[in-house]
Amino acid sequence: MKDSLLANLSVQTLFDAAADAMLLVDNIGHVVQANAVALELLDYSFEQINGLEIEALMPKSYRNQHHQHRNSYYKNPEKRPMGKGRDLVALRRDGSEIAVDISLSPISTGAQHFVLATLHIADKRRKVEEALKISEERLRLAKEAAGLGVFDFDYRNNVIHWDERMRDIWGEESEESVSYKKFVAAIHPDDRAARQTVIERAIDPASNGEYSVDYRVINPNDGVERWIATVGRIHFTNGHATRLLGVARDITDQKILEKTLQEQRAEMETLFKQQVASQTVSAIAHELNQPLAAISAYSEVALHALNSSTFNPENLKRALEGAVAQAQRAGKSLHELLAFMQKGELVTERFELNHVLKEALNIAKGDGYGDFSPLLALEPAMPEVLGNETQVRKILVNLLRNAVEAMRVAAVPSSAISITVRTNQEINMAHVTIQDCGPGLDAETAKRIFEPFFTTKPTGIGMGLAISRALTEANGGQLWLEQNNKPGATFHFTLPFATLT
Amino acid sequence: MSTEATIFIIDDDPAIRDSLTLMVVQEGFAVSTFESAEAFLESFQTERFGCAIVDIRMSGMDGMLLQEMLTKHHFQLPIIFLTGHGDIPMSVRAIKAGAVDFLTKPVTRERLMTSVRFALVESEKMLTERASHQSVQSHLAELTERERDVMALAVQGHSNKEIARLLGISHRTVEIHKSKVMHKTGATNLLDLARIAHEGEFKSIDKP
Repeated sequence: MKDSLLANLSVQTLFDAAADAMLLVDNIGHVVQANAVALELLDYSFEQINGLEIEALMPKSYRNQHHQHRNSYYKNPEKRPMGKGRDLVALRRDGSEIAVDISLSPISTGAQHFVLATLHIADKRRKVEEALKISEERLRLAKEAAGLGVFDFDYRNNVIHWDERMRDIWGEESEESVSYKKFVAAIHPDDRAARQTVIERAIDPASNGEYSVDYRVINPNDGVERWIATVGRIHFTNGHATRLLGVARDITDQKILEKTLQEQRAEMETLFKQQVASQTVSAIAHELNQPLAAISAYSEVALHALNSSTFNPENLKRALEGAVAQAQRAGKSLHELLAFMQKGELVTERFELNHVLKEALNIAKGDGYGDFSPLLALEPAMPEVLGNETQVRKILVNLLRNAVEAMRVAAVPSSAISITVRTNQEINMAHVTIQDCGPGLDAETAKRIFEPFFTTKPTGIGMGLAISRALTEANGGQLWLEQNNKPGATFHFTLPFATLT
Repeated sequence: MSTEATIFIIDDDPAIRDSLTLMVVQEGFAVSTFESAEAFLESFQTERFGCAIVDIRMSGMDGMLLQEMLTKHHFQLPIIFLTGHGDIPMSVRAIKAGAVDFLTKPVTRERLMTSVRFALVESEKMLTERASHQSVQSHLAELTERERDVMALAVQGHSNKEIARLLGISHRTVEIHKSKVMHKTGATNLLDLARIAHEGEFKSIDKP
């Protein structure tokens, strides 16, 4: 089928049907055949082009050279593009030039040797090249705008090729490459070791070859020190580092800014610490001074009672009891503060949160905070949580005491506290909610309620919620106040489960 | 002292209230305690003989603000401040605003009672002044318009003759008005009348 089809097509028909221009040239360089596209492209009739020396179709300056190329081609004919990537130009009959890419194919019929030259108009390739040039120009502009310098460290020859920006920083005049030794000499001695470590890590073939390090460069001409951030990548050949290609950026201003900010931060931190310390001292002083003042007054009352003729044993008893209670109060405040300031190792264990809650309810009752009715909603068979049981118990007792005190002050008729213990599916944590039916908190109080030493209670030290929050966080959870319009205050806290489900 | 003195103790710490109450009661005074400045203001009546022992640092309205409120409403009650630490700028401010004393906790019985006694003297003085002011005011309120006119001109030093001419009334009528003014205000002479006019913030009328 195929053979019979081809037999019916003349060579000339195929030749003329080709989309590219084709010229058949004999072994002495004369055109012997040209297809229709070639004739049109070069603006010749067949009669005009037939027998024409091929060199007549190229600019004069190429002709001599082409003679030689042609001779060597006939010695070693092969199918290949012509011109080794150089831009080729064909000469039309009217003398105008046209950019072309040319492919050469040897054809032999018995003793006769021909070369088929195929000409593609090179505009497309040129356009790609032009686009590449524009893109390179854009890159260069971007590089300049970003203040980037480019370097290429030839690892085998210990030479660095670099651009003008790099030379500027290093204070070198015009050399396009520099010895590695000279390159390193400008780097701040204190930064060389760190840079070396990064390079060594990057040239390890097991690494991804990425390189990034900041160091200082001292310009040998003016002694100006600049911070340089370098980023690059090692190229490997056969498992060996051969090149480090990278960019460098002057980050001196940024470093200066960073340093200033760091200093400011340090200063702020010091101020903050001083303020916290002074606040702490002031709070401790207040917490101790209050009971001391009461003890002093009670004692003088007792003394006065003993010295007076109208001795009232009831008052003496009340004064002494008051003095004892106040001494206890002072001691308790001290212990709470000390407990808060101690940073001991946190021992965690698995335990049932519902069980600890029941213990906390009993403790609250035992401490004189039992005047409420708990409304419990406890998830049955909830997984065990992980934390410090004692601390979690303390958090619960603190929250219950706060709730009771709030309701006492407001003298609410029904002293109920709703307590929910459940699994929060969203975050996969145990979630406890404690809601009282006291007066709740106004916006201003709510904002400050977790601050250390903030209190709304006359005898409170203002550490309860601060401690509770610190403890919750130490146990991997969160403690927060719900902002809502519901009556009473609603506190939430979370704890992680022992096993992730 | 016409009535028994009451010592008001305003402190948010129950132990301080309790211990100071025992102490003040031992001294024979009546005590009234409040856990906040707000609660005190709600129940306070003017013209009480006594003084207040007030904690500077209280949740809610603090001691300094309470002092401001009392002054604003012309409540005359001597205040003794108690403070946890000797804050000098604050004590200066409190004394300038009329506080009797500024005491640092713990305070001794002696120191506190000295202040309380001093404050009670102050309170008595305030009440006497207030009473006299009020009596003068009520006397002046009894005067007729014509009598006020005559009194105003008289305390300015005009003679009866001049007053008669200025008001366009007879010399005799001026004499009658003036004698009524002296009688109603209880003034013994013209100088005394001038004192009463000053104390009672008597406004002189515009000259016709």
